[in-house]
Amino acid sequence: MVSLAPEPIEMTKPTKNNQPPRILLAKIGLDGHDRGVKVLARSFRDAGIEVIYTGLWQTCEATMYAALQEDVDVVGVSLLSAAHLTVMPELLRLRKQLDIEHIPIILGGIVPKEDHAALADMGVAAVFNPGSSVDDIVGKVKQLASMHEPVKLEDVVDGYAKRKQNALAKLITSVQRGESVEGFEPPAGDAVVIGVTGAPGVGKSSFIGKLGEELVSRGKRVAVLAIDPSSPITGGALLGDRLRMMSASPEREFFVRSLASGGAAGGLADVCPDVLKLLTGFGFDYILVETVGAGQGDVGIRELASHTLLVLMPDSGDAVQFSKAGIMEIATCFVLNKCDLSGADATQSQLIGAVGDARPIFKTSTLKTEGIDKVADFIVTLS
Amino acid sequence: MSIEPGVGKSKRSADDANGKSFVGPEDLRGYDPASALSVPGSFPFTRGVHRTMYRDKLWTMRQFAGFGSAADTNERFKYLLAHGTTGLSTAFDLPTLMGRDSDDKLALGEVGRCGVAVSTLSDMHVLYDGINLGEVSTSMTINAPAAIVLAFYICVAKKQGVPLDQLRGTLQNDILKEFHAQNEYVFPPEPSVKLVIDTIEYCTQHMPLWNTVSVSGYHIREAGASAAEELAFTIADGMAYTQLSIDRGLDVDAFAPRLSFFFDVHNDFFEEIAKLRASRRMWAHIMRDRFKAKHERSWKLRMHCQTAGVTLTEQQPMNNVMRVAYQAMAAVLGGTQSLHTNSMDETLALPTEEAAKVALRTQQIIAHETNVPQVADPLGGSYFIEKMTDEIEAKAYAIIDQIDAMGGVLPAIDRGYFRRTIAESAQAEQRRIDGGEQKIVGVTDFVEDGTHDMEMLKISQDTEDKQVSKLKDIKAKRDVAKHQAALTRLREDANQDKNVMPALVEAAEADATVGEMMDTMKEVFGAYGGGPEW
Ligand SMILES: Nc1nc2c(ncn2[C@@H]2O[C@H](COP(=O)(O)OP(=O)(O)O)[C@@H](O)[C@H]2O)c(=O)[nH]1
Ligand SMILES: [Mg+2]
Repeated sequence: MVSLAPEPIEMTKPTKNNQPPRILLAKIGLDGHDRGVKVLARSFRDAGIEVIYTGLWQTCEATMYAALQEDVDVVGVSLLSAAHLTVMPELLRLRKQLDIEHIPIILGGIVPKEDHAALADMGVAAVFNPGSSVDDIVGKVKQLASMHEPVKLEDVVDGYAKRKQNALAKLITSVQRGESVEGFEPPAGDAVVIGVTGAPGVGKSSFIGKLGEELVSRGKRVAVLAIDPSSPITGGALLGDRLRMMSASPEREFFVRSLASGGAAGGLADVCPDVLKLLTGFGFDYILVETVGAGQGDVGIRELASHTLLVLMPDSGDAVQFSKAGIMEIATCFVLNKCDLSGADATQSQLIGAVGDARPIFKTSTLKTEGIDKVADFIVTLS
Repeated sequence: MSIEPGVGKSKRSADDANGKSFVGPEDLRGYDPASALSVPGSFPFTRGVHRTMYRDKLWTMRQFAGFGSAADTNERFKYLLAHGTTGLSTAFDLPTLMGRDSDDKLALGEVGRCGVAVSTLSDMHVLYDGINLGEVSTSMTINAPAAIVLAFYICVAKKQGVPLDQLRGTLQNDILKEFHAQNEYVFPPEPSVKLVIDTIEYCTQHMPLWNTVSVSGYHIREAGASAAEELAFTIADGMAYTQLSIDRGLDVDAFAPRLSFFFDVHNDFFEEIAKLRASRRMWAHIMRDRFKAKHERSWKLRMHCQTAGVTLTEQQPMNNVMRVAYQAMAAVLGGTQSLHTNSMDETLALPTEEAAKVALRTQQIIAHETNVPQVADPLGGSYFIEKMTDEIEAKAYAIIDQIDAMGGVLPAIDRGYFRRTIAESAQAEQRRIDGGEQKIVGVTDFVEDGTHDMEMLKISQDTEDKQVSKLKDIKAKRDVAKHQAALTRLREDANQDKNVMPALVEAAEADATVGEMMDTMKEVFGAYGGGPEW
């Protein structure tokens, strides 16, 4: 392992809320070798770190903009295409341009020794090669995270009022960490908060990504709060919702923040109302909150949302499961996603049988971008 | 030195052959060599697909390599042909592999880097300029846009006046393993596989000598799968292509002989040999008994092997020469039909010429100095090897049963089964390494300080700039009406679920780019953002 950062320092004491370190893992460019990044993601989770994975084929811009929105403690970049001397300077340039220079960037991949010094000089916090031990990498991430300074209110209040996303992102971090934001009260705002729930894998994140895109194209400001479960044992988490959504870009009023449900009961429930307040006050028109749904990791988000969309897929057997969970009753409408697969019509009849046809049932395919506009037509009538 | 039984081995218990200090006849009770082994060249081909194996014909030493522009590669091809090569191997650059043109935003810095850039038919003409496609065999390693590249190849052959039924070569064309492991997919699984079946159907009708799919375990293994998982997933993928081709209405004996396989050869010497032997026996039974193939040619699993890139280390890179040599020996003892040996410097950068030469020489030494090729399947009948062959076969069948129970390969992809299994195996291996249970010489043990002085190949930006401007030129000069009409036909044929090969050939001739054809099909097939990750 080659570490370019100073000797490990003493860990600062954990944040008040015991917020675990948060890292964004990105694969930039066309290269699809993701063995390393996925082994690391799992190992980070097992070491009690929250991992936001943005998936394959990311651009430098989307990566840094995601880092801005997530306000992570560390950005980890995996590069196996030998493009590090092109990609890293570009990332660092964007980091400066976006004014998020407090976020360190580490690099993993095939990097010849002779390039290490150049990378350190330009500001890369650490470089790991194949063969680096996972323990060393985890140690480095935790150390870098511990250096993430608490937010100073006076630095962000102004930016928040001017609708700067990096100010918003930092304020959410303060709330997550339980730092004091005394004396700061966001304006009321009038966002419509919509819960999007359903069993894992039905396509909630993909759907939210497409719906968000559609609403943004209609001139709406959209925020997404994507909640995934934490590991009850380690407190770490794999937050993979973001990778299904359109890539972040400064040109769009589309803000995505990934949250882990938190190990201990109450963890997220405490934080969520405050985060929603921040998002509402910022001036979003719609806030879409993705949760795992009834039972699993229920965070009481439904009490905070004015409407709930229940996402189902063909032949999932969900209908039965959910009617037991009682979520069928509270859903504002139903989204039958993955209608490109067979069995959609049968599931639709089954659904009508279970809930009647008073509430809308939309058939969508996020894969083929079908039916999303109809849902958007409905959403814009909600208040 | 004392060795604990089974230490450092993956997923094995003391009941397995590898958990014992020796294996004897009592471990093979009830074993029937006549049905399990037969003789080389006879069903179930455990001992090899030919009676005399390498004594009559050595394996093909197929070194896969890529060079910047089409013109550079063409020059290299001609050099190789002048020196007696009869088979050409074409590596494409990453943008081409992803179905993107050289001027695509995401192609920046990647054009011509790991292979040749092909965006239009014109590039393909340059690539094979002055090479008679009726005389050489060509292997093309490409998947998502494989049908397009095949269309280009057909156009070049037509221009040369070579009848299609004389074309010989291999298209990797295995999209399923892209979803499991290598991630070079573009369309969702279902339409992606439809494209593969389109090429199988087209080739069966027009290009009977062409190897349509190289069903690949290599990338699955490199991504972290165990040997048994590699074996099972690869055979399952082969079964999926077979079933879908039959569903298309093709006669199994018409296309099956043109399916071939591609395996990884990893460090565990005997396990790898057992894996290769088991693969042949499994395929023979599956083709004969499950798919009712009647011809012996349909039962034979022909394979290409490559030494395992993941086992190479950046530290003390000369050690890699030894790793590659042992792996290559395992491939030969396992009875491969062709072999690529990796270069010692591959973990650092693209191979240098010197390193690539040592890799080739490694094969030549096995072929000409060791006498190993003199006898077919020399390890056949070893208690240990036969026990291991049986065991890995049983494990693979159990995995295939699981996949069948999920409804087959496509539904299993949708559930994230392959990716999850592979990622779990990869993490388990990492844990064994971190825990000191699995040693890597020069990395976990016998570590040396200091850097090494390996010469490394650098690629210039020049190729990219030239390629991009050439592409601009073609786009500016082509016949717009013809180009539009061809893409419209492609869209319609895709929409009507027709075989798109004829439309692709027409689009290629109208100078449509790879990226344009992919985008047109994306409108119909959709784009795939990946399956479940965790
Ligand atoms: N066939 C099909 N697959 C989809 C569709 N939407 C999402 N998926 C796939 O379903 C899986 C889970 O999607 P994701 O959005 O992560 O689901 P979530 O767990 O509910 O958030 C992924 O593999 C998606 O590619 C769709 O409309 N059709
Ligand atoms: Mg999700």
